Amino acid sequence: MADGGAVTEAGATHGVSLEVDAVSHEFGAYRALDDVSLRVEPGEVMALLGPSGCGKTTLLRVIAGFLAQSRGAVSVGGVRVDRLPPGRRNIGIVFQNYALFPHLTAAQNVGYGLAARGAARAEIARRTRQFLEVVRMEAYAERLPRELSGGQQQRIALARALCVSPGVLLLDEPFAALDKNLRLDMQIEIKRLQRRFGLTAILVTHDQEEAMSVADRVAVMRGGRIEQLGPPADVYDRPETLFVNNFIGSTNLLPGAVAADGSVRLAAGATVAPPRPAPAGARVVVSVRPEDVTLHDAPAPDRFPARCRLSLPLGAVTVLDLEAEGGAAVKVVRLRSAEGPTLDGPLWCGVREGARVSMFAEDS
Amino acid sequence: MRRIHAPADALYAAVVGLLGLIALAILVGPVLVVLAVSFTSEPSLRFPPQGFSLRWYAALIDPAQSGHIHEAALNSVTVALRAAGVATLVSGAAALWLRTRSGPAGRAVDLAFMSPLVLPMLSFGLAALILLTTIRVRPTLFWLSAGHLVVVAPYVLRTTAASLSQLGQPLLDSSASLGASRLYTFRRITLPIIAPGLAAGAFLAFMASMDNVPVSLFLSSARTDMLPIRLWGMIESSLDVRVAAASGVLVVSTTLLLLAMNRLVNLSRRISR
Ligand SMILES: Nc1ncnc2c1ncn2[C@@H]1O[C@H](COP(=O)(O)OP(=O)(O)O)[C@@H](O)[C@H]1O
Ligand SMILES: [Mg+2]
Repeated sequence: MADGGAVTEAGATHGVSLEVDAVSHEFGAYRALDDVSLRVEPGEVMALLGPSGCGKTTLLRVIAGFLAQSRGAVSVGGVRVDRLPPGRRNIGIVFQNYALFPHLTAAQNVGYGLAARGAARAEIARRTRQFLEVVRMEAYAERLPRELSGGQQQRIALARALCVSPGVLLLDEPFAALDKNLRLDMQIEIKRLQRRFGLTAILVTHDQEEAMSVADRVAVMRGGRIEQLGPPADVYDRPETLFVNNFIGSTNLLPGAVAADGSVRLAAGATVAPPRPAPAGARVVVSVRPEDVTLHDAPAPDRFPARCRLSLPLGAVTVLDLEAEGGAAVKVVRLRSAEGPTLDGPLWCGVREGARVSMFAEDS
Repeated sequence: MRRIHAPADALYAAVVGLLGLIALAILVGPVLVVLAVSFTSEPSLRFPPQGFSLRWYAALIDPAQSGHIHEAALNSVTVALRAAGVATLVSGAAALWLRTRSGPAGRAVDLAFMSPLVLPMLSFGLAALILLTTIRVRPTLFWLSAGHLVVVAPYVLRTTAASLSQLGQPLLDSSASLGASRLYTFRRITLPIIAPGLAAGAFLAFMASMDNVPVSLFLSSARTDMLPIRLWGMIESSLDVRVAAASGVLVVSTTLLLLAMNRLVNLSRRISR
């Protein structure tokens, strides 16, 4: 059954590597994928992150074999699979709306792959029971999909994909249709299954928090291209482009210009050290994360004046909405317990020492 | 859930209820009138019926008196079964083919299949007759069935297309990804999902063929008499009450067929799980 993944006693498989090499795809004249390359190591979870319409689903469909790419190659476990039909690629997929077969019971859905491959009845029954247990849905075996909640349907969809022991699992926006609490539960559930089965997985999402919490590495996509690929912390701390910077987490973008001595003079009225050298006179945008903005009650050369417009207590942290000179909004997150100046008076904002500050050319 | 009805709600309910009753009366009323008349003991099609008897049903059943009616009924059922059967296969296949084709070719085929529904059936009947005369074949039950096939095919196409809307591409992709062959996917996913649509279409097609007049008018002959034509002929010549009795039989058997089909569709749903 498992062509590439080795099946152990417990029915667990070991994930295999997945390689996408210079894949492009066009719908008519529209290029939905443009020279995409990535490699997911065995047992690794990679998140495909990007705004709606950037080609995430298209890439997943190419990998799964529902769509033939115009150029490039897809390999699973080191073997080219892009000429193989979807069922022979050793890849499992969970669709955004689960795509459970509406006329089959939960158990029949789970056992479908084995039945389609002509497994013996007893074997199908045994594995079906096993995977219903894996996703804790034994009690719902005889229910039809429409008699299950969204989270339960998703568990069945997962069990159905896992039951044929794929080496690679693809998940297309698996949490999008769930409400917030359930979403967290399912993230934990998927992480648990992924660990237990050592699965290689690609998770498509447009929610950066989800990508950060579940994935080992994140690929940020834009307009059919991979804009940046790396561990979540790297992508968050060292975004390579303004697009990635804005897409991953919230941030303050402060326009400024590079002075003759190499320091950056912000339009809001402070001078800060640039994260990397830049030619004098260049117009730049400096990005500072809300948690890296410090508040003071006295001016200094590296601080700019601001006024607090709004303070939102958000559990353990407080989010402040400040207005810098000239009307620019500055967002600040600080611990509720943190000491600081009173918010009614004039304030001066600085950048926390050791903070990761990014700088981009203004027109990028 | 219980709600307190505002006067406007009550008025709304009353108006809708009344309209529903009127519609029901218009639709079902004539059928009841015919049923009532068929039990008359007088040799006239008058309403309200005079007396009560089963004499017209007896006359209808009697082969000596009504052999021609029986023959026509058998012809009609044969033609309807053939037309509906072939329409189910052809239109079912067409609906599957059309599912993924939204281009000009798809629209052309869809239009071709649906056109009998809007084009005057009389012209089609005439055209078919001219065609048959031109190629010098005598109108037989085969050609009648073929003619009916054309005019009942749209029903199956529509009902199947409606049930196909439940069959999203992700379902087919999932099946393929899980290792199913196209045939296996068709057998276990596609067919069970469209089965209710096919059954409903087949039923509608059968009924449409059973009381089709315009096409039969042109394509039937003395040797291939069809039930509606024969009944019309009887009314025309003698206001025969057996026509009312035959209508009664048709109404009752249609109702039974409808109930049976309902059961069957539910049954097939239950079996396929
Ligand atoms: N079958 C198709 N035909 C034409 N264009 C398509 C098709 N599928 C997707 N596209 C286009 O390709 C782009 C990428 O789509 P998709 O991969 O679904 O985006 P994402 O999943 O990232 O939201 C979109 O602009 C979309 O309009
Ligand atoms: Mg998508």
